[in-house]
Order: sequence, then structure tokens, then C-alpha cells
Amino acid sequence: MSLNQLSALEVAAHVRAGELSAREVLEASLSQIRAVDGQPGRLDKQQLDPAEEQKVHAFIRLTEDLAHRQADEVDRKISAGEDPGILAGVPVSIKDIFTLQGVETTAASRILYNFKPPYTATPVQKLIEAGALILGKVNLDEFTFGSSSESSAFKPTPNNPWNTSHVPGGSSGGSTASVAAEEVALSLGTDTGGSIRQPAAFCGVVGLKPTYGRVSRYGLMAFSSSLDCPGPIARNISDAALMLQAIAGTDPKDSTSSVVPTSNYLEALKEGVKGLRVGLSPDYTHLFYPDFETGELSLESIQKEISESVLHAASVLADLGAEIVEKVPLPNTKYSIPTYFVVSRVEAASNLHRFDGVKYGYRTPVEVEDLQDLIRRTRAEGFGSEAKLRILMGMYLSSEGFAANYYQRALKVRAMIRRDFERAFDPHGEHRLDVVLTPTTATTAFKRNDVFGNTVRMQYSDQMTVSANHAGLPAVSVPGGLDADNLPIGIQFIGPDFREDLILRAGYAYEQATLDEAWRSVRPAILRQEVAK
Amino acid sequence: MKDYEVVIGLETHIQLNTQTKIFCSCKADSWEAAPNTNICPVCSGMPGVLPVLNSAAIHKGALLAAAMHAEVNPVSYFDRKNYFYPDLPKGYQITQFDEPIGKGGYLDLHMPDGAIRRVRIHKLHLEEDAGKTKLDHGLRLVDFNRCGVPLVEMVTEPDLRSGEEAAQYLIQLRQLLRWIGVSEADMERGHLRCDANVSIRERGSQVLNTKTEIKNVNSIDAVRQAIIEESKRQIELVESGGKVVSYTLDWDADTGKLSMMRSKETEADYRYFREPDLLPVVLTEEEIARIKAELPELPPERKARFEMEYGLSAYDAEILTEDRGLSDYFETAVASFGGEAKIVSNWMMNDLSRLMNDLGKTASELALTPAFLAQIIRMVEDGKITAATGKSLLRKVEESRREPAQIVEAEGLAVIADSDALREQIQSVLAASTAEVESFRAGKESLLGWFVGQVMRATGGKADPKRTREILLELLRQK
Amino acid sequence: MSISKISPELFQKLVGLAALELTDEESAYLLTEMNHQLSSVNALLQVPLDADIQPTLHGIQCQGSGPRADVWQPFPTPSEILAGAPETEAGMFAVPDVKGAK
Repeated sequence: MSLNQLSALEVAAHVRAGELSAREVLEASLSQIRAVDGQPGRLDKQQLDPAEEQKVHAFIRLTEDLAHRQADEVDRKISAGEDPGILAGVPVSIKDIFTLQGVETTAASRILYNFKPPYTATPVQKLIEAGALILGKVNLDEFTFGSSSESSAFKPTPNNPWNTSHVPGGSSGGSTASVAAEEVALSLGTDTGGSIRQPAAFCGVVGLKPTYGRVSRYGLMAFSSSLDCPGPIARNISDAALMLQAIAGTDPKDSTSSVVPTSNYLEALKEGVKGLRVGLSPDYTHLFYPDFETGELSLESIQKEISESVLHAASVLADLGAEIVEKVPLPNTKYSIPTYFVVSRVEAASNLHRFDGVKYGYRTPVEVEDLQDLIRRTRAEGFGSEAKLRILMGMYLSSEGFAANYYQRALKVRAMIRRDFERAFDPHGEHRLDVVLTPTTATTAFKRNDVFGNTVRMQYSDQMTVSANHAGLPAVSVPGGLDADNLPIGIQFIGPDFREDLILRAGYAYEQATLDEAWRSVRPAILRQEVAK
Repeated sequence: MKDYEVVIGLETHIQLNTQTKIFCSCKADSWEAAPNTNICPVCSGMPGVLPVLNSAAIHKGALLAAAMHAEVNPVSYFDRKNYFYPDLPKGYQITQFDEPIGKGGYLDLHMPDGAIRRVRIHKLHLEEDAGKTKLDHGLRLVDFNRCGVPLVEMVTEPDLRSGEEAAQYLIQLRQLLRWIGVSEADMERGHLRCDANVSIRERGSQVLNTKTEIKNVNSIDAVRQAIIEESKRQIELVESGGKVVSYTLDWDADTGKLSMMRSKETEADYRYFREPDLLPVVLTEEEIARIKAELPELPPERKARFEMEYGLSAYDAEILTEDRGLSDYFETAVASFGGEAKIVSNWMMNDLSRLMNDLGKTASELALTPAFLAQIIRMVEDGKITAATGKSLLRKVEESRREPAQIVEAEGLAVIADSDALREQIQSVLAASTAEVESFRAGKESLLGWFVGQVMRATGGKADPKRTREILLELLRQK
Repeated sequence: MSISKISPELFQKLVGLAALELTDEESAYLLTEMNHQLSSVNALLQVPLDADIQPTLHGIQCQGSGPRADVWQPFPTPSEILAGAPETEAGMFAVPDVKGAK
């Protein structure tokens, strides 16, 4: 086993014990990146030869010098007998939506192509202080707008390590791909409607969306402020728990960050699932897809292997002593995407107002008549299609002059989605659940260019995940198998407010009980190839 | 010509005198700073930043609401007002739209003729200030130093009826803001900004006609003038068959002229929605009660009380309640003096006021405390020192910071009360002025004043004038 | 059931409000997608709302640390902020003038 295949927990333990140097670990990580990642994403069009097309392309920018300095610092602390942190020497990638002082932070958009922030995002700072090594910034959908990472202005966009003709999912596609391809042990992503969990499911890794406010949003370039959650991506549950430990907690720079105390997430894993009440809901077995002419929602089945994985997971947990509670109604799930369209676009349009070519980032090189012209041209040239679409949609849906009061209505429906979960989790209610078990997505990873351009179909790949965002609840996607094409399947656990411990526990129990299942010995295609190291 | 009534509403923006900005920890006051030196990622609208509310902004906003007799909302919310302008770095302003910190309220205007007009408040809310821009060779230059400073926006109902009333409103508002300590309210520094909405109607009508908005009125005089000009313009326009169009007007203080800025026909759609980066502002009943208790006696009440309690004239009471520091000083001095308040008020309005002007100090900045003043006045009233000495003591105490009695002792400024010592001095003077003595005795009694002057000179002003005259007459009339 | 759609005229207004400029091709594509998305949003207008339901802004009830103390903490490197600007002049952000401004 080479060093880059070690889990974060293992790396940290070895480095802290002086058995491994951070430098060694870093070199192994860089070596793997060089072997499998290929060209980093760039603004100018790149012609790729067929070999390049098969690479992962998770990264936009490597930060080798920074990582070397950090590794040296960790090694120095070890020699000096100082505490190097709980993530000492662990290689980490950062979704390029988080600011890192002095390093270009692009949001995968031309409009920020040269933006060097004068400050570092809080969760990134916490990782650095925990001793992690920042290998670089990974690619994503532009401004996190998307579920395939294909909308990035930096091409080539990331590929799925399990089959490079398929997307890794999005918007944290670079994050999940870099972890699945063993380039790094951990990645910091963001989840607004499912942007950590869906790509985690597509890439066969663990992706956790914490409770809203559990992790500070300071330094996260906002998409939808009331939904955005930074969170960990890892190859197993313990690593996800370890990373959550490092980044969770209140931040005076984020008014919405929570003062509810964090707990010991690693300790909680050991508690097992005996007596744990796990709910299954009939509202998570189908998609509710709209007819473009009439707007009527009709049922679409989800991929059969996925439903089967969920049921299998339920039976594994039942064998471990959990109580499976079936037929739990979460009836407002079918409105979760419509609600998301309204809430997220209204907030996004406003959050993107600040990109105008005045203060930072891209400014149109064209001669302009006046300021209005400057702003229009800058935004027209700087934003990609998906960004423009979200802005226009947001303006329409929040406009007093044009639209019925969509926004107010959406906030009420959002409250109803929340209420569904409150009823399910109510300790004095009918179901008294500890966690809800659902599929993460309706399909496994689709092919590149198959869905991109059809924005409704693309958005609906988040239907299973977005309700947890509306309700503010923690949710984790855990690898649950492979389909007939060897594409990963993800299963999801959703828990009550600030009960990351419960969902991690359930995920851990399932993970440990299925270690010997056949599918676990299959590796991503890119790792099965003979690659020159 | 018909009889027209002018209908005016004022919109004021008040800069709160907190230490820091409303949503970040940059300084609130950066008047002296070089451009873009008092900024941070938050107030310059960088990507990824978040606003964090300043508790002092809430406190002062609530205090102002209470002082305006408004209801302090126990739960208020911030909202985003979205639009593009170079001085607005985020492309939206964080303000309060439908659930602001204060509801209702009024200011009772005390007009010079004694009438009281109640001006009702339509809206009172907190918001962040924008940056500053200036035009330079065709380029617009932007400075974010001021961006994010806490403002209270207060909009009145159209209850004002003349430029004079509008001016009075601003004068009283400015006094109130300084009085309760929420703003320096210096219009020249932009602490208090005003836009005026003006319309006209036939007297007796209740209808509100189309209004124009006058911007860039930077002084009380400008407000008064601009409103007078605009109401004249509207009346002339209507009288000649025209219609008032809803324009924004700019006032040029130098030329005294109004010019059209832009038509207000197309109102921008600001797409207000709740600011998701901030939580609701919650004030408990206790906290609101504490804030209300903090409210001092306000200027109109205090003025009335000064007239009643201290028997001051309306004019004197007005002067002494212009400034809270001054009126506190007065009351403390009166209490310390223990005698007639009018004596204290005379000293303060004349000699003390002159000293304060010379030194450019407010009452609260003086080293000459109310107790010290009272001491000086007491010594003069008791005849221990002359009034002239007393007046000179004001400056001496201010400069040396020493107690008046000490200075009198040290410099020997006490009136020569001892008749024998005085008599000796006077006899020396008479001895040295034999010619004048003869003249007096010959009948030129007007020379008495001259003799008194001589005695004063000889005694360094310490002779008691009354006693001096008595003794002089006695000695002079002797043969 | 008929659903509201955005007309090409309204679309152009929105483009102006959003301070964007689009090619005809982009406009056509975006308008189509917007109307498709509206067909999904339409469901919201049909949902029977619970009588007592209040809008929620964050889903959960946020427990933050509340407003901060009024203490000056200068940002250490304001020059770094200015340094990122596309154009500056005399320490200020420089842009062409607003059309029709005074």
C-alpha cells in the first residue's frame, strides 16, 4: 500500500507518532496527482490528446510550495515535541470556492480568474491549524451552480475516476474526484442542494453536509446564503468524522454559525446502532418530474440497483439491532426542487451583484461608454451560462413588478418541508426516528454532456438531497454498492439538528458490517490502470 | 392667485457615533483618513465575507426611537435592497424594510412664535452607509472608508408647512441627537443629511399632490432656501396652467438654484428580501425598559422646567438648554451656589460664554468646573472679591486648574475689607494728590470717580468700591 | 392547467435589470430554460399551505453568538484590497462615470 492510499486517520496517527514524516506523505500525494490528474483546469481552450481525456482533472491549481512549507512546519513541531494538530500531515484539497489568502480563488469563473483574496476562509484556516497539508484548489461548477462540474470555466472539467467518460457529479466534483482517485485523503466541499452528497455518491466516497451553521461560512463565496454548508469529503466515515471535528464550531465572523457545542464525532462512531430507529420513506422512492407544458408533476422511477442498495442497507442495520420504521411520510419532498429553484436563485442573484469589474477580478478589456456599459460587458463576458441563468431567474422570482409572490410562498413551503422532518424525528410522535435512510441520488453518474444544458433535468439530480438543506439538517452520503456498470451507488442518512453523531454512527455501522462485500474490493477504473508513478 | 399650502416631508440620514461600522470592526469615523485606508473585506464587498452586527448600533438606534416617542420593536429584521451603484460594493444595501427598529413616533416642533407643530415619523430604521465617489477628469473615483457606517434613516409624514418649519425641525433634531449622545449631527461632515419632499395644494384640501424631491441640501439654511424656492416654482408652474412632475432636484448652494436631476417615474425594483446572513434583532422587555430609562430629560421639557424652577426667561432658558453639557453645568453650578439661579445664568451667558468662545471649548470640556464657578460667584456676592476680580478669575482657574479660593489667597486678590488698611491706602492717595483734593474741596465733586480710580490702582483693584467711596467722601469733606 | 411563462419582452427587461448583455443565441437558450424551470416552480403555487405555517429563513432556529462589541479592530492590510482592483487612481477605485449622473 502506498502512502497516498492511507486514510486520514492513519496518516495523522503515524505522523503524530513520528513514524512517518509529513514530507513523505506529501510526496506520495503529489506523485499520485502527477500520475492521474493530468492538466489542471484552465480558462483558455485546451486541446487534449486521448490519454489526457482519461485523466481526472480534479485540480485548478496546485499549491505545492505552500504544502511543502506546511509539511516542514508539521515535521518541525513533531521534532520539537509540539502538538501538530489532529490532521497532522494529512493531504487535503480545497474546493475553489473558499478563499485562501494570496492564492488565486476563482469560483471556477472567468469573472474571478485573477482574484487573490486578502484573507483565508475560516474552515480552511482551521484545517491549516489542525496540521493538514493544502495540496491545492479543486475544480467545481462555476460558483457551485450545477450537479456535474461541467459548467466550470476552467477546462477540462473533472472526470469520474470510476469511468472518465462520466461526470463526477457536482458542484463539488473536483473534491470527490480528488479523494476517490487517492490524490488526497480529504477534501473541503460545499453543499447547498446536495453538492457534497451527490458527487460523493457518484464517486463512491463519503460526503457529509453538516447542520446549517455547524461550520462557518466565512470565506465561502456565497451561492445561497441560507442553504450553503461547508463539509468534509473522505474515503470512509471515520475520516469524515475526523475532518468534521477539525472544522466544526462557532465563528464570530459568521452571524449564522451556531453556538451549540460540538461533540466528539469519532467517539460517537463506536456506539453502534442497537435500538437506533431508522426510517424509510415512500416519498424517496421516485422523482417528481414536471411536464414543461402543464407543470404537472409525475412520478419517475429511480435506478433499480439504487433502491435495492437502500433496502439492503436497511437489512444490514436491522441485523445489527436497529429498528427499521417503514412508510414514514415526508409528503412535501416533491416540492423540494421547486422550492429550491425559488429560494436559491433569489439569494444567488443578489450574492452575484457584487461582481461588476469595479473592485476585483475580471474587467472587460473592451472600450466602454460609461459605467453601466462596463458592468454589463464585464458580467456578460465574465459569467458562464448557468450563472446568467440563475441571476435572471432570481431577478424574476423576487421581482415585485413581474412575479406572484414566489419567494414568500417558497419560504412557507420550505417550513412545511422542515415540519415533515420535525414530525418524523419528534420523540413523542408517531415514528420517533433517530435517522432517515434514503437513496442519495436517483441515478448513478451520467455520461459527460448527457445532461448538461438541460438545466431542469440537471437540478433534479438533487431531489433526494435538497430537502435536508431546506430543513437545515445534517445528512451524509455513504458508498452503498456499485451498479452493473461498476458505477458507485450512494445511500444517505439524514438526522436531527446537530446530530451529526447519529448519522455518522449509522453510516459507520453499515460501513463496518459490509467491509467484506464483493463490491468493496473493486477500485475506480483510473486506479486499476497501470500508471507510471 | 389661489391660496396655496406647501406640504413638506423630510427624509434624514443620521450617522450614529458608534466606535465602529455597523457590520464590521472598521472605524465609524474616518473623516481625516486617506481614501480606502479604513476598509476591510466586509465593508469593501469582497466575495465570501459576512456582516456581523454592532451591538452599539442597535442600542443607539433604539435610544433614538425612544427619544422620538416611537415604539421600539422587540424583534426587527434586516433586509437586502438590491441595486447597482459604484459606491455600493456588494450591489445591495443592508437595511430594514418592513420590520424596522422603531414604529411610529413624532417630534413636537416648538416654533419661535410659540406654536407647537407635531411632526409624525413615518419610518425609523437602521441601515449601512455607502461609500463616497467623486468625479475626476471623466473618471469616477470610489472611496469605501465611509461604507458601512451605521445610519438611522428617519422619514417624516408630510406634516411640515414651510421652509422655516423644515429648518426648525432640523435644528431641533440636531439638538436632540447631540443631547442623547447618538450622533455628532454635524451637517458639514455629513453626520446629518437631508432630502426634502415638496408638493403644494390649495389650502383646505386634504389631497397629496405630486411631489418633487430635493437632494444635496447640506445645511439648515440650504433646506430653508431650497424649499422656499421650490414651493415658489411649483406655485408659479401651477398658476400658469402647468403640472408638477415628479423629479429629483439638486440644490446648488452657491447659486441658490434648483436643477432637475432625474425623473422619478420609473421606481427601481429593489427586490427586498430578508438578509439571510443576519439573524433577527431581538430586544427583551428588560432591555427595552433599560434603554428607555437611559433617556435623559429632553430639551423641551428641560427648558420648561428651567423657566418654572429657576424663574429664567424663555430666552435664557433656551440658551441654557441648547446643549446638554451646558445645561447640566448650569444646574450643577446653581446647586453648588445655593443662591439665586438668575445670578448664575447671567455669569454663564456673559463672561463664561465669552471665555468658552475664546478657548473654543464646550461647557463639559472646561477645567473650570461648575463648583468652581459657584465658588467665584459666591465670593463676589459675599463681597470677598470685586466683580472685576471674579471675572479675571474665570480664565485664571481655567488655565491653572486651581481652586479659585486658592488663587485669591496666593495672589492676594481679596478685597481690602479691613477699614483701617483701606483708610491708610486712601490717605496715601490723598496725600499724593493734593491738587485734586483742593479742586474737590473747591466744589469739583465729580473728581470722586477719579479718586476711586486712583485708589483702585494703588490697591491693584482690591479696594471695595463702596467702602472706598464712603471713606473718600468722609476724608475729602473733612476740612 | 396553464402556467405562467416569461415573454421575450419581459426577458429583455430582466436582462437589463441584471446588468447583463446577451447574444441572440444565449437569449433563446436561457429563456427556454427559464420557462422550463418555471414549470417546476409552478408546483409551489398549487401547494395547499398549512393555515398556521410561517416562512422559515434557515430551516433550523439559528442560535448565533449575537451582536458583537463595539471595538475597533483594523484590518491589517487594506492596501491588499486596493491592490486587487482592475484600475485605481490616487488610492481610489477608478471607473468610467455613470451615464446621466450629476
